[in-house]
Amino acid sequence: DIQYIVLLVVTKVLKALGIFESYDILKVVHIVQFIFILKLGSAVILLFFQKPFSSGKAISKRQWIKLLKHAVFSCIISLLGFFGLTLCGPLRVSYITVVEVSNMLFCCFVCDSAQTRGAALFIIAVICLLLFDNDDLMAKMAEHPEGHHDSALTHFLYTAIAFLGVADHKGGVVLLVASLCLKVGFHTASRKLSVEIGGAKRLYALDNLVSAVVLLPWVIVLSATTESKVESWSSLILPFGMIILSVMILEFYVEAICNTKMETPRCARYGAVALFLSALLLANFWTHPLTDQLRSMSKPAQQLSTEHVLSGGVIVSAVFFIMASSILSSPSKKGQKGTLVGYSPEGTPLYNFMGDALQHTSQSLPRFIKDSLKQILEEYDSRQIFYFLCLNLAFTFVELFYGVWTNSLGLISDGFHMLFDCSALVLGLFAALMTRWKATRIFSYGYGRVEILSGFINGLFLMVIAFFVFVESVTRVLDPPNINTDMLTPVSVGGLLVNLVGICAFSHAHAHAHGGKGCSSNDHGHSHHGHSHSEHSHGGHGHSHGMNANMRGVFLHVLADTLGSVGVIISTILIRQFGWLIADPLCSLFIATLIFLSVIPLLKDACEVLLLRIPQENEKDLNSALEKIEKIEGVLSYRDPHFWRHSANMIAGTIHLQIMSDVVEQRIIQQVTAILKDAGVNNLSVQVEKEAYFQHMSGLSTGFQEVLAMTQQMESMKYLKDGTCIM
Amino acid sequence: QGTIHPFRKTHKSVFGKLKQEFRLVTSDRRSWRILLFGALNLLCTGCLLMWCSSTNSMALTAYTYLTIFDLFSLITCLISSWVTMKKPSQLYSFGFDRLEVLAVFASTVLVQLGALFILKERCVCLPLTHTQTHSGRLLVGTFVALFFNLLTLLSVRNKPFTYVSEAASSSWLQEHVADLSRSLCGVIPGLSSVLLPRMNPFVLINMAGALSLCITYMLIEINNYNAVDTASAVAIALMTFGTMYPMSVYSGKVLLQTTPSHVIGQLDKLLREVSTLEGVLEVRNEHFWTVGFGSLAGSAHVRIRRDANEQLVLAHVTNRLLPLVSTLTVQIFKDDWTRPLLSGTLSSSPSPVPPLGPEGYAIPPSSSALPPLLSDPLTSTPSKPSSPPPEFAFDTPGRNVQQVVLPAAGHHAHGPYGGLGLAYGASPYAGMLSQGVARPGMPSSQSYRTAFGAPTLPLRFGTSNPLASQSQYRQYQP
Repeated sequence: DIQYIVLLVVTKVLKALGIFESYDILKVVHIVQFIFILKLGSAVILLFFQKPFSSGKAISKRQWIKLLKHAVFSCIISLLGFFGLTLCGPLRVSYITVVEVSNMLFCCFVCDSAQTRGAALFIIAVICLLLFDNDDLMAKMAEHPEGHHDSALTHFLYTAIAFLGVADHKGGVVLLVASLCLKVGFHTASRKLSVEIGGAKRLYALDNLVSAVVLLPWVIVLSATTESKVESWSSLILPFGMIILSVMILEFYVEAICNTKMETPRCARYGAVALFLSALLLANFWTHPLTDQLRSMSKPAQQLSTEHVLSGGVIVSAVFFIMASSILSSPSKKGQKGTLVGYSPEGTPLYNFMGDALQHTSQSLPRFIKDSLKQILEEYDSRQIFYFLCLNLAFTFVELFYGVWTNSLGLISDGFHMLFDCSALVLGLFAALMTRWKATRIFSYGYGRVEILSGFINGLFLMVIAFFVFVESVTRVLDPPNINTDMLTPVSVGGLLVNLVGICAFSHAHAHAHGGKGCSSNDHGHSHHGHSHSEHSHGGHGHSHGMNANMRGVFLHVLADTLGSVGVIISTILIRQFGWLIADPLCSLFIATLIFLSVIPLLKDACEVLLLRIPQENEKDLNSALEKIEKIEGVLSYRDPHFWRHSANMIAGTIHLQIMSDVVEQRIIQQVTAILKDAGVNNLSVQVEKEAYFQHMSGLSTGFQEVLAMTQQMESMKYLKDGTCIM
Repeated sequence: QGTIHPFRKTHKSVFGKLKQEFRLVTSDRRSWRILLFGALNLLCTGCLLMWCSSTNSMALTAYTYLTIFDLFSLITCLISSWVTMKKPSQLYSFGFDRLEVLAVFASTVLVQLGALFILKERCVCLPLTHTQTHSGRLLVGTFVALFFNLLTLLSVRNKPFTYVSEAASSSWLQEHVADLSRSLCGVIPGLSSVLLPRMNPFVLINMAGALSLCITYMLIEINNYNAVDTASAVAIALMTFGTMYPMSVYSGKVLLQTTPSHVIGQLDKLLREVSTLEGVLEVRNEHFWTVGFGSLAGSAHVRIRRDANEQLVLAHVTNRLLPLVSTLTVQIFKDDWTRPLLSGTLSSSPSPVPPLGPEGYAIPPSSSALPPLLSDPLTSTPSKPSSPPPEFAFDTPGRNVQQVVLPAAGHHAHGPYGGLGLAYGASPYAGMLSQGVARPGMPSSQSYRTAFGAPTLPLRFGTSNPLASQSQYRQYQP
């Protein structure tokens, strides 16, 4: 199949040429007109070759509507793609398009670790292009981004890029990647339509036609309203024809042929390498006088100087792109996913594909979200957390947007800190949700304990926060920085309001359940929070029942935020009135200590539960219950009493009882269960042992030893049985 | 970081007690080494933190957190040696094995939170400012940290972390390295003995972090790309996440009192065997979980027939499960036990204690009522090796079927297996019974022993070995 490879390589070289050519043309021709001409030209040629109307079955009205949608999408994608081309030059475009084919493969098999590595490489390559590609020309272009906007569309795109905060030329890369991702999704979506229409080629032809029709009114309006920069359309006919032929038609056909004749990965690999090399070569020689004959348009001299050039970043990213495409296009080793179960009678290995089976049974994501939302809203705790989380997120985003709007660094960073704090809320919400899941084989007691673990993690979280605030404020005490207090007051007042709502919600819910609320504060970088009244809280530690570590953790966070806002206000006033710059770090030092002290009770309780301690509040009851058990008629003694709190509303226990031989076991079990139930144990196992049990056990264990001896000395088996069994 | 570790030992709130425990730990020579390394680690961490602030490099800070994690792991090591000296107290009735687990969990979670902080800092700073990184002490710091980390890892035997890193599922870093090395071994087969075994995750992350720091240093030195520092900080933070996450999941699952998934198959087999015991109708409310790393604890409720001998069944159930589950509680219960048994059936439970003696167990009270063939009741082997293996209930097949099928059918749906598709219903038991009788093999207790030593071994007990001892029930049945 060497001829196919040659064909492929030639096509790719032509495509690279076409991309470079179209970059030149796009300098003079408006992008919409350009795409219109491309689509129209290829539609005419394809109509001639494919004859979509005369051959095949007729297209219904519904299919036409689908075609229309398809065409609109393809127009948008090519608009994005070519706009990216105008922004960042042909070389980078050809790099990114390379991955397209392999990317499609990647969409199919994401699960493989090699594939994820390939995807990561691709992302790194894009980041390299974004960060390390110091193209001088691009910087020059960035200076006058508003200079030559031809239409509302390009203007809109420019403003969108500017809004993203990316420099103009890098916006091109972003646009290209976006169009690439869209394209991959679009291809998978169009597969069904192509079957319906009757072949990919027919679809392609019709699609080109319809998109040309779609673009027609726009082009007419454009040409009526704006004057063209083109001197003569006739000189453009040749390059247009070349682009249409190489980029749109030839590539399509050759890809289709090669995909059927060779395996797809190989095809993709050769194509990628060919496109890379030709793009590199062309980028070197495009401005060279030698290629002037190749180029059909003569450029004014000053435009020649603004060509996009090769830079180190491009080379690095090219290496990454090549690696990514080679990894992505290598056949995925799916067989390794299975686990070896055993061998069939014939001797062939049997594999178990767990992952696939799990994927098939898992429900769809929207459904899962809907169900979880419903569950969240069902119960009081999780509903409170959820509403508060929504409020918090809304506030955060308002803050972030306002920060971006006014370009205030302080606001943005505070917004990020808030977002970070929301993660604790999310953790709490998830734990509250999980708690109600049904018990499974693995979680045989149910998921109630998740709540305690989440409380523990939240406690650790607050500890880490306290530690960082402590370190930060110590460095600031030594060298107090100058703080700009302008923005802090409105932000902290807003935060205070939001958090007050949360405090109201949570304290109503849990004031009765536990007194062990500590409070903590959560320091926001340079907007240091301080607070005054935190000592009150953990005075009443020793909550009676229904300890919910999760809610306590969440409450600590909320309280922390509230008091933190108060602290910011106080320290702002101090700094403004008296100019005490040291007030701020001192305040945060104080806060850090308070967080630390207030988290300790939470951590201690959670640790006790996790270490399976006898529940503190039931200790006395349990001791008296054990005494009572000893006094039950017939009970000789007990051993191994284990009682522990499993979750907020479950205390589990196991106990072994020795009783007299003439007592009915079931009666004892009933009595003991009743006594311990009064003491709060609601998941109990009682093992009632009589003397007979120990006899049986000793009998069984002699059997054990005998069996061992039997296997060791096979020849003397009979003798052993006769000799030792009687014992 | 120094402020957090006292609270691992939360139950010791008084400093004097803490001191006493500390003395207990230091009485062992082995813990001296740990303390020495801890002191070295503190020194190293202090140096690194200073260099971090002088170079203003986030990547080095992220790498320093790994050193801090080493400190945590040394503390865990100390705790684990303390745990081995402690006996279960009245309050902590299961002993302090769980403290080890908790320490592992806390240290992995703390490191992950540190990584989260790094990520957050980067998120805040990435679009806004470009901090100038000075590469001065970057390389020195990297190598000092790498050296100390590897020294600590390789010279201190860290039992809990070794266990967790082997038992937990492999992190994505390990997967990728395994994948890469597999393809590398395809090219150079000689490397297979070095590359193919599972990598130690801690060594791996230390190496990877050092590598990315070296790259950062090079790029900053050569091209002055300061953004690399951010990128490599994010990369190190993500790698830390990836490495620590499986371990914290594993230890978190132990803390959540879950059944370890690797013993589920073994447990299922045992429970199936238990439910085939004579007189047992069903097993339910079974909870099995790990106390520390490795030792199982559990409880189960066994429902038995009304006329079955509770103590005998209890002894047999305990005997089956005890090799695997070291802390076991079995509750035997009967339905309608208040209603007297039907006339004509002998109740064995209130029977008087047999006379004790060296052969006391061998003479059951009801043996006189049984035919002479079965009157030599041995606990676990057939009385006469020449006789065919005794069967269960073939003398009264109709009764047996009824006893097994009917009562169990009512409770079938309530069993915890119902939702999982593991039909523990009556009919499988019947099948098991007949199958077991057909193939008298070795008693399976031997395989329990081997399996107990290594719970992850492939399960070896025959599904249907009839324990010879099961035949003994006949003798107690009228």
